Amino acid sequence: MDKPAFAKKVEFSNLHMVIKWFINLRWIACTGVFLTLLILYLSFEVQLPYNILFTANLILFTANCIYLFYLVKIKRKVLTNKEKELFLHVQIISDYILLLLLVFFTGYLENPMIYYLIFHIMLTSFLFEGKILGFYTSLTVLIISTISFLQFNKLIPYYPLSLFVDNGGYYDRILGRTAGISSILIITAYLISSIKERIDYKGKLCEVELSRYKSLDKVKSNFILQVTHELRGPLAAVIGFHEILLKGITGEIPDKSKALLTKANHRTDNLLNMIDEMIDFAYMKSELDINFDEKKLRISELIIENISLIRENAEKKRISFNVNCSRNIQLKTNRDLMNMILGNLLTNALKYSKENGEVSITCSIEKSEIHLVVADRGIGIADSDLEKIFDEFYRTKTAKSLEKDGTGLGLAIVKRAVTNLGGRVNVFSRINNGTSFHIYLPVSNLKGAGDGKKQHINN
Amino acid sequence: MAKNNILIIDDDEDIIETVSILLEHEGFTISSSDNVEEGLEMIRNSPPDLVLLDIMFPEKKTRGFEAAAQIKEINEKLPVFAFTAINREYSFDFSKEEIQADEFINKPVATDKLVELIRKYI
Repeated sequence: MDKPAFAKKVEFSNLHMVIKWFINLRWIACTGVFLTLLILYLSFEVQLPYNILFTANLILFTANCIYLFYLVKIKRKVLTNKEKELFLHVQIISDYILLLLLVFFTGYLENPMIYYLIFHIMLTSFLFEGKILGFYTSLTVLIISTISFLQFNKLIPYYPLSLFVDNGGYYDRILGRTAGISSILIITAYLISSIKERIDYKGKLCEVELSRYKSLDKVKSNFILQVTHELRGPLAAVIGFHEILLKGITGEIPDKSKALLTKANHRTDNLLNMIDEMIDFAYMKSELDINFDEKKLRISELIIENISLIRENAEKKRISFNVNCSRNIQLKTNRDLMNMILGNLLTNALKYSKENGEVSITCSIEKSEIHLVVADRGIGIADSDLEKIFDEFYRTKTAKSLEKDGTGLGLAIVKRAVTNLGGRVNVFSRINNGTSFHIYLPVSNLKGAGDGKKQHINN
Repeated sequence: MAKNNILIIDDDEDIIETVSILLEHEGFTISSSDNVEEGLEMIRNSPPDLVLLDIMFPEKKTRGFEAAAQIKEINEKLPVFAFTAINREYSFDFSKEEIQADEFINKPVATDKLVELIRKYI
């Protein structure tokens, strides 16, 4: 018995929740029974064995207290599967016994509450497989039939519930009622277990489909990663040749040719950027592990490194960068992801700035979060575009008119990178007034669990 | 005389050609090889002042970082720049620390930056 029947059905992380739910239900049942008895006793003067009933109710209450106490204990201690299974059995058996006891002393088959056994069957089927459910159902039916048989033969007393029903002729109805409740219980058990079987089957199908889909997606992403890398090599050579020609190392070239070559070079640079974006994007989509660097990275240094990469273009447009970031702000993080975030945001800020503009980058620590802002005073983003700019492959009209080449992946990458670092990103923009991106990254990276541990990317 | 002999080891002849021309233009003397074995032989026979080594050799699956270690075996003090078309660390199936390179250079090369870095070492 190394595999408890319920283990497959109820995950142990859920088990705690399920038991808690049981306990709550029991509190409600307990209170309900207590109030009903109290009302019957005080107002209607119905003759019932109150001593026994209140005792049973007290037992239910005490049992529930014990279960709750035990549940708190489980939280700290790791129980074996067998212990957990036993705990569930004890609860279910005590519930059956107490309900039957309460019903027996309050009219038994005449008491509509006997149909509450249906809920017990449902809860049992929720936790256990068919065989155990079958066992509980047949045992219940057997006990009900036995009590009925004994009552029918007047071997045990009958406690009438005269307030609600006319109990005359109870003995004539015993057989019919017993057959009725028994068949209802058996049918309930059968229906629920077959419904559950179907659901389980569908669930398994979904799991298989999902894993197939995931592996396909991974193959696809790795393929893109491979291909884009292969593209970088030849492109590097082309860019090298352009540079040689443009520098006039192999002899001066005519101005007209130089102009054409400059255009060719510009497009090649764009192509390289697009390839890089696609590599980053493929990486984000594939389920590769993200390593967190052992050492803390200085945010200010990362910012300066990324600015230096676009300095040449910034000088052409006479854009100045205003960095306001303390050297003390450090973070255990992933360098690649940080570079993707900063690189894309800075490139965008530069692209959408007006000539002689200024791009400001600030970072600060706010409540255990690093708050990073990249703000430009450029052309801004229309409100209608604002919610779409983080979408994959989305390019605004302005972006398309400013530059022919683009993937529309830059901000999608930023968003994924930030999410994978356990942070969030906001954007504020006003037309002709500029755009600011706000990044919040947790200092103690809960999701990434610092310490250079590996983390899985969530899509 | 300033040290300015640079050896380029790369399997892509066009990369060798472009980098050679650009660096010669900056006043360096370039020798080159398109495979690791020959490159190592050249380092033994006529030691350069610095090596630019492609660390992504498809050929014989000789991985560049093994070559980097081999170069350091021959001459521990010889600066080795790892040279790669890969621009993100995540794409390496090994960590940068494992590779015994002094610097990592991405292709395409930003010539100014490369020259600046070379001048730091020689």
